[in-house]
Amino acid sequence: MSAEEPTVADEVRTTIDVDTDRPWAWLGLAVFWGWLLVRWVNDFLLPASVAVPGDQSFFPAAPFASAAESLAGTAASLGVVGVPLDFVAGLLSFVAGAIPSFPALARGAWLTIVLTVAGIALGFPIAVVLSVARVYGGRGLRWLSLSYTELIRGTPLLAQLFVLYFGLPLTQIVREIPGVGSGFIPGTAALVAILGFTINSAAYQAEYIRSALESVDAGQLTAARSIGLSKREGIRYVVLPQGLRYAIPGWSNELVYLIKYSSLAAFITVRELFFQAESIANDTFQYTELYVLAGLFYIALVVSASVLMGVVEDRTAIPGLGGTR
Amino acid sequence: MLQAGDWAFVLDNLDYLLIGVGVTGTLTLAALAVGFLLGFPAGALEVYGDGLLARVVSTSGVLLRGTPIVVIMLVLFFVVSISQSAFVTAAVGLGLRSAAYQSQIFRGALQSVDEGQLEAARAIGMSRFEAIRHVVVPQALRRSMPGFQNEFTIVLKDTSIAFAIGLAELLTRGYDLFTQSGRSTAVLEVFLVISAIYFVLTFTTNRGLDWLADYYAIPSGENR
Amino acid sequence: MTLLRVENVDKSYGDEEVLNGVSFEMDRGDVDVLMGPSGSGKSTMLRCINRLTDVDSGDIWLDDTDVTAPETDVNALRQDVGMVFQDFNLFAHLTALENITLGLKRVRGIPESEARDTAMDHLDQVGLAAQADSYPAELSGGQQQRVGIARALAMEPKLMLFDEPTSALDPELVGEVVDVMADLAAGGMTMLVVSHEMGFAQSAADDIHFLDNGRIVESGPPEQLFERPEHDRTEAFLTGLQSGEHR
Repeated sequence: MSAEEPTVADEVRTTIDVDTDRPWAWLGLAVFWGWLLVRWVNDFLLPASVAVPGDQSFFPAAPFASAAESLAGTAASLGVVGVPLDFVAGLLSFVAGAIPSFPALARGAWLTIVLTVAGIALGFPIAVVLSVARVYGGRGLRWLSLSYTELIRGTPLLAQLFVLYFGLPLTQIVREIPGVGSGFIPGTAALVAILGFTINSAAYQAEYIRSALESVDAGQLTAARSIGLSKREGIRYVVLPQGLRYAIPGWSNELVYLIKYSSLAAFITVRELFFQAESIANDTFQYTELYVLAGLFYIALVVSASVLMGVVEDRTAIPGLGGTR
Repeated sequence: MLQAGDWAFVLDNLDYLLIGVGVTGTLTLAALAVGFLLGFPAGALEVYGDGLLARVVSTSGVLLRGTPIVVIMLVLFFVVSISQSAFVTAAVGLGLRSAAYQSQIFRGALQSVDEGQLEAARAIGMSRFEAIRHVVVPQALRRSMPGFQNEFTIVLKDTSIAFAIGLAELLTRGYDLFTQSGRSTAVLEVFLVISAIYFVLTFTTNRGLDWLADYYAIPSGENR
Repeated sequence: MTLLRVENVDKSYGDEEVLNGVSFEMDRGDVDVLMGPSGSGKSTMLRCINRLTDVDSGDIWLDDTDVTAPETDVNALRQDVGMVFQDFNLFAHLTALENITLGLKRVRGIPESEARDTAMDHLDQVGLAAQADSYPAELSGGQQQRVGIARALAMEPKLMLFDEPTSALDPELVGEVVDVMADLAAGGMTMLVVSHEMGFAQSAADDIHFLDNGRIVESGPPEQLFERPEHDRTEAFLTGLQSGEHR
């Protein structure tokens, strides 16, 4: 190995840096989340008598469709001058076509968020153990930790999901657990997917945390020990608090990554956002509407995550410590 | 769960899988090449350019980095329909995604070269373009190596997502192997072998790129 | 004969007036030193002369070239004005020799072998012929600065600007750089030096200009400034310099 492994902390921030001075950005996000939350409450919490039916969008499609038609008609009669009108007509027709799929996509988005948050949250404690073992452990522990991270990071996530879902009899075991699939608890396939994301995310988070821990000056632990703290206490009270702050950019990367790659769960039958888009598109042949809409959903989620991580970074910032923003 | 007969089955069909390695490898290199050819100018534009073109480039980058690769591939295949060939579509899709990320790698590297280097170059009479070309870029390219190594591995693994458009690369072949042959008990063996092959691929390319980086590295002294 | 004419130069950064009506002249072969507290505008003055910074108003003439005129070819101008930086700014990816040949080949269009010979001569002139193939990171600060001087000299400038050339050096390395500068001065090069090195100012300078808050408070030969300064500010600064207050 070369003297200095390319550490992920050296990586350029690849999250989406949104120009948050732009009011329309905030407005767009607010509308998105507002609608999403209302939809979820409607579908999951409200009793059937009060709620809007699960397959019916809040918004009527007909007005958009008819507006599109009339605009297109006007555009055609105007000839070349009417080109911008035609463009607007196309947009309106796009919206009209997309509206009926909103409810299903909202439900898919819920699962996407569950998969992502669960994957990262469950992977975190494993990652801390792995990184501490790697930085402070003896030869055996270091080797074990290294093997785990190298193996997981060296193989595709999709292959890992396939191993878990098709290769191992996990589905048979998980299915039998009481409560699976009812109410808020995700179904079998989703749980297997969460397991896969946890294992995967743990490896990547371990790398981010490891390089963050190594960025903490060695003198910090020395000073901690010189006032009588044990090595474990020194790591816990002095090194980790600093190291975890250095790891925030890495977490932002991981959060954005998992939001996008949760789409792979569709290949093991999880009905998340991408699955919903694909199945509707295959039924209605509205490939353009559905895939563009799916893309927009993902971008909204990614931008929201970046904004959130930005807030976290600002709140936890200590002068002179890290701060790559 | 793991049976000797199933391993034998995989071994018998190893040549079928290894052709998949060829497809995976070629796809990776093609995508990285597209990514570099588009990404490097994009990164330079973001650093040194201003005006409409720079903003268009920067926004496209944001969109490409915020969309899952599987959606990009399906849009290119079904919506834009740039090609009947799954290979070309996958190469373009992966290439565009890679370009969006490589532009950030190069942007960071270009920005990390000290201002003073550019000033010194201009102070001896070089034009801005010459100064960037002969002094900043050579240093920036070297600083991009760690990011580029990382990107290489990511693209290599993402080729597996061409599964979604039916490209017969490594993972798809594995999937076909156990579904079509009716040998469904061999599932685990097949995917373990495939994972092992991917691991060997990523491991060797990482070491190879490490060696390359050392070869082109600028010597750093101890008496600074 | 007059090589450099600076007339009434003003420069502000936002609300801060960095240069205020600065005027002075230099003849060919003169060695002038700019001294003053930090923030007095000395470095900015140098950078205005080779157009790394643009003046707000005023004129600068190098020989018969109007430096400040918009239509002046900046790149051609910079071949006539050499600059040595406080942080050396050697091209980190090139050897000492290549640092010099880059300008010779790309800016002056000299073919490779001739460029190498010329570069070696200049390296020899600053005493670093043996380090031709070393990279900047492998050289000491003093060695890097001497390469920086050689790099600027290789362009055969009419005027050499030195922006605090020894401020970033460890004390024991200052001497080797000052020696090179003294040799250069003795050889007849026109030099404008921003520095706190009093030894060099006293022995090599023809004129010292004391800058404070963007204005030249006093100008004169070293004997005048150091022994019989006309202004209190000048005296206060130089006394402080002697006692090591200013860095």
